[in-house]
Amino acid sequence: MTASSAKSKWGRILLVLVILVALGGWLTWWKLFREVPQTLADDSMEEYFKYGSIGTEEQDGIPFWIWLVLPKMFPEYLPSPGGWASLGFAWEQGHDLPVGFSKRTIGFERVGVNCALCHAGTLRKDANGVPAIYLGAPATTADILGYQRFLFRSAADPRFNAANILGEIGQVYDMSLIDRLLYRFVLIPATKKALLKQAEQFAWTNQRPDWGPGRIDPFNPVKARVLKVDVGDTIGNSDMEPIWNLAPRAEKGMALHWDGLNTNLREVVLSSAIGDGTLPKALPVERLVKLEDWLKALPPPRFEERFPIDADLAAAGSEIYQAQCARCHAMDGEKTGQVLTMDDPEWAEAGTDPADDRPANTDAHRAEMWTPEAAEAYNAYAAGYPWKFENFRSTGGYVNVPLDGLWLRAPYLHNGSVPYLSDLLNPPSQRPKVFYRGLDLYDPGRGGFVAEGPDAVSHGWRYDTKVVGNSNQGHLWGTDLAPEQKKALIEYLETL
Amino acid sequence: MTNNEVRTKTRDESLVDNVLASPVDQHLARTRRRLAWGLLWLILLAIVVWLVVRFNCDRPVEYADDQEHFKYGSIGSEPGGSVLDAAGGLLPPRDIFAILPQVCPDKLPGGYASLGLIMEPEHRFPIGVSERFRLGIDQVGLNCSVCHATTLRDNPDSERRIILGAPAHGLDLQKFFRFVLNCTLDERFSADNLIGLMERNGTDLGWFDRILYRYFVIPRTREQTLVLSQRLALIMGDDIPEWGPGRVDTFNPYKGVQFNWPLDRLPLSELIAASDFPSLWNQKPRDGMYLHWDGNNNSVDERNLSASLGAGVTPVTIDHPRLERVRDWIWTLPPPAYPYPIDQAKAEHGKELYASRCAECHADARFKDGVVDAKLIGTVEPIEKIGTDRHRLDSYTFDFAANQYTLYPDSKYRFTHFRKTQGYANQPLDGIWLRAPYLHNGSVPTLRALLDPPEDRPARFYRGNDVYDPKNVGFVSDVAKEGDVSYFLYDTSLPGNGNGGHRYGLELAPEDKDAIVEYMKTF
Repeated sequence: MTASSAKSKWGRILLVLVILVALGGWLTWWKLFREVPQTLADDSMEEYFKYGSIGTEEQDGIPFWIWLVLPKMFPEYLPSPGGWASLGFAWEQGHDLPVGFSKRTIGFERVGVNCALCHAGTLRKDANGVPAIYLGAPATTADILGYQRFLFRSAADPRFNAANILGEIGQVYDMSLIDRLLYRFVLIPATKKALLKQAEQFAWTNQRPDWGPGRIDPFNPVKARVLKVDVGDTIGNSDMEPIWNLAPRAEKGMALHWDGLNTNLREVVLSSAIGDGTLPKALPVERLVKLEDWLKALPPPRFEERFPIDADLAAAGSEIYQAQCARCHAMDGEKTGQVLTMDDPEWAEAGTDPADDRPANTDAHRAEMWTPEAAEAYNAYAAGYPWKFENFRSTGGYVNVPLDGLWLRAPYLHNGSVPYLSDLLNPPSQRPKVFYRGLDLYDPGRGGFVAEGPDAVSHGWRYDTKVVGNSNQGHLWGTDLAPEQKKALIEYLETL
Repeated sequence: MTNNEVRTKTRDESLVDNVLASPVDQHLARTRRRLAWGLLWLILLAIVVWLVVRFNCDRPVEYADDQEHFKYGSIGSEPGGSVLDAAGGLLPPRDIFAILPQVCPDKLPGGYASLGLIMEPEHRFPIGVSERFRLGIDQVGLNCSVCHATTLRDNPDSERRIILGAPAHGLDLQKFFRFVLNCTLDERFSADNLIGLMERNGTDLGWFDRILYRYFVIPRTREQTLVLSQRLALIMGDDIPEWGPGRVDTFNPYKGVQFNWPLDRLPLSELIAASDFPSLWNQKPRDGMYLHWDGNNNSVDERNLSASLGAGVTPVTIDHPRLERVRDWIWTLPPPAYPYPIDQAKAEHGKELYASRCAECHADARFKDGVVDAKLIGTVEPIEKIGTDRHRLDSYTFDFAANQYTLYPDSKYRFTHFRKTQGYANQPLDGIWLRAPYLHNGSVPTLRALLDPPEDRPARFYRGNDVYDPKNVGFVSDVAKEGDVSYFLYDTSLPGNGNGGHRYGLELAPEDKDAIVEYMKTF
C-alpha cells in the first residue's frame, strides 16, 4: 500500500464523515430550530391578537401533536368533560385552537399562548347559547391555573410516555417515521422535562388560594421565573383587566395594572409578553408595538348593542355619577389613573359600614405582592436589550381606574370579589359572601355574570370571600345612595 | 511439510502432522458455507418481505356496481393505521364476527337478523357490513347502508323489499353494539373456543394464522373492546331510555369514543339523545342547507365525514375515494316513489292546503326533482317555536362543537362547519312516506298522527315492524308481536321520547288532514 493511496482512503472517509455531520446538522436544524413565519387567516391585527405569536413558543411551546392528544389522555385532570373547552377558553367556529393560543413552527409545530388568552372575554344570553367574543375584555371564564395544572399533572403522570402519546396521535394522524422518531426520542421526553421544571417554578401556587376562572396572579410568576425574586408570603390573585381604549390612558400618563406599578404603556406591553413566557431574545418588539397601537384605538364594547337601555333612567344616573364618581373614574377625572394608597384617608371618608369591622380600603394583598425589590429587579432586567424597563415601582395602593366598558368587566374590584354592579353599591357586609365565578351568562339588570343558581353551582367556581386575598371589603363610595338612585346609577354605568 | 499440513502439539508434547484439505477442497467448503449463509439470508429476507407485504397490504373487497358498493363496500371503518398502533374499527375481525352469535348464543338467539340487520341471499354478512384485508387479516367494518337501508312489506305475508337510502327503521343499533361489546368481553371469547368455532365453520386457518389469532388478534380485539366498552358504558347502559330500533344517539358516543370525555361527569339528561335515522337520498339540493336534526352543519361533505366517524373510521383509516363514491351516488339518488295507489283528487286538495301551511318551511313535492321553493327550508326553527322534545338539541353543546374542530387535524378535511344551534332544522320532505316514525326522535308513528294535537298522538306504540300502513302513512305501530318477533314498545312519557310540539295543521278538519297526507305520498 502506498502512502498516497492510504492518504486518499483517509480522505474519502473524512469526506463521508463531513457529509454525514453536515446532513445531521442540517436535519437537526430543520427539525428543531428552523423558523417558519406564521400564516394567519389574514393580516389584520384582530387575527394577530387572537392567534398570532408573541414569542412564547420558543421557551414554553408544546409540540402540537402532544398538545392535541393530552386532553384525551388525561381527562381526569380537567375541571369537567369537554377537552380544552372545559377550561373556559373563547373558541371561534372552525378553529383548531382556542382564541389566545398560537401555533408556530420552530423546527416543529409548537403551541404557545398570547395576550388574548386572558384578554378576550365571552358573553352569552342563554345558558346553552353560543358565546359572543369580545376582544380586549377580561377572559371571565378562562381558568389559567387550571390549564397549567393540567399540563403539570399530565407530565408527572407515568402514562405521559412515548408509547402512549404516539399511540394516541396514531389514532388521528399518520405521522412520518422521522417525526415519530423525533417525538419518541426528543420531543416527548423534552416536553415532559420542561413541564416538570415549570411545575417546580409554579410550586408556590400550591400553597396559595386558587386563582379560579377569570383571575391570575399576574406578577408572582414573573418574580419566580424571570426575576428570581422570592415570592415570600405574597398573594397577587386578581381579576384579568380589559385592555381596550388605551390611547387616553397613555396620553394622560395613567398608572397601569391594578396597583399602578408602571405608567409607561410600552413597558407594560413588552413586560406582559415576558410574563406570558417569552424570552427577551425572542420578543417580537415591532409586532407588539403595532399591537399596542391597535389596542390604543380598540373601542370598549357597547352594552346597548346587546341589551336595551332606559335612556331616562341613565340620564338620571349620569347626574349621580358626575357628582359621586367622576372625580376618580371619569376619563378626564381629576384623580383618575392615579394611585390611592392604602393609608390614604379618602378610603374612610367614603363612609363606613357599621356592620363590617374590616378597613375601608379594598383587600391589600395584590398591592403588597409587588414589592420594591421586585420593581427594582424588573427595572434592571432589560439591561443589554434595545428596549428599556425603567418605570416599574411599588405603589402600596390601587389605581382609580377609568370605567369604559365597565358592564363587561364583572366581577368587580381588583380581586373580583363582588359579582354584580348592584352588589358593589351595597355596603361590604351586604355583598355576597360566597358566589360562583366562571359563567359568561349575563344578567343585564344587576350588571354582571350570573353568579348563583343551579347552573352557576354546577359549572362555576366557588368564590369564598373569607379566603385570604378574596376579601370583598372596602370601596364604600355610593353605598349610601337611595335604592332608586342606585338603580339609575347602574343604568348609567352600563352605558360607559 | 507442504502448506496444507499443520504441525500440532499433542498433550504429551509429541508432534503430529495433520494433513489438511487441499486448496480446492478449502475453496469448495468456503463456497458451501457462503451458499448456506446466503440462502439463510435470502430466506430471512423473503420472510421479512412477506411479513411487510402482508401487514401493510390494504385490500378492500371491491364492488363494480354502485348499489353493491353502497351495501357492502368499505369506507375504511375496518381497523387500520399501523400494526403497532392500530386505529379505528368497532367490530372484531371478519371470521370472528361471523361466528360471534355462536360464541354467545344466549346473548343473541336469533342471530344478526334479529337485530334488524338486513340479510340478502348469497351474502355472508348483512347489508352495511364491509370486508377489507388490512393489518394482515380479514376485517369487517360498518358502512353507510347499515343505518340507511330498510325493508318494507305490504302485509305480514308478503315479500320484504329492500330500499336503499331509507332510514333503517328496523335496526336496533344499540342492541347490536351491546351484543358485540358484551360477547367480545365474555369469558367464552377465548382463543381455543374461537379458533375451534372458526374451523368448524369452514375457516381454514394455517399454522401462521392460528399463531397470529391466538397471540395477537384475539388479545388485541379484547383489549380494544375493553377500552371501547368503558368509553361507551353509560350510553350502552340502563340509566338512559333505550334507543330502540331505527334510532341512534348521534353525538354522545362521539364524546366518549373520539374525545374520551368522562361521560359520568356530564348531566345524565345530556346523554339522552336518541333520534331517528334520516334518509340519505337526494343530497344535491341539500348542500348549503343546515343538516342534522338540530341543523348544526351546512356542508354535506363534512356531514358525511362526521357520520363516517360514527361507523368506526378515524382520520387515519378512512378511505376517502370510496366514501366519495357513496357521496356521488347519494348526491342524485332519487327518493323511492310511493308504491301504493294515490287518490289524485284528494291529493290535489291536499296540495292547496299544504301550500299555505307547510310549504314555507318544508318545500313541496317538487323537492324530489331538485326544485327548492321554500323560504325557511334548511334553517333552524327556534326550540321555543317548534316545541319538540329538546333532549337531542341539548346533547349537542358548544364545548362539543369546539372539540369537533380538532377532528381530521392538519388536513383539508378538518371540521369547520359545525355550530351550536338553538332549535331544530326545517327538513325537506322528499320520500317522507318512508321516513316514519316522525319528528326527530321518532315519537309520532304516522304522518296522520302528526297532524293531531300532541295529546291525541299515540302515547305508546310499537316500532320496528316493516309492514306498511298506507292509510295513516307510516309503519304499522299497533302490533306488539308477530310470531316469535316482539316489537319495541315506544313510550312517549320517557325522557327524550316526548311527542309534543310541531303544532301545525292541528285545527284542520279530519278530511283536510287526510288530504294533506294524501298529497305528501307524492313527495
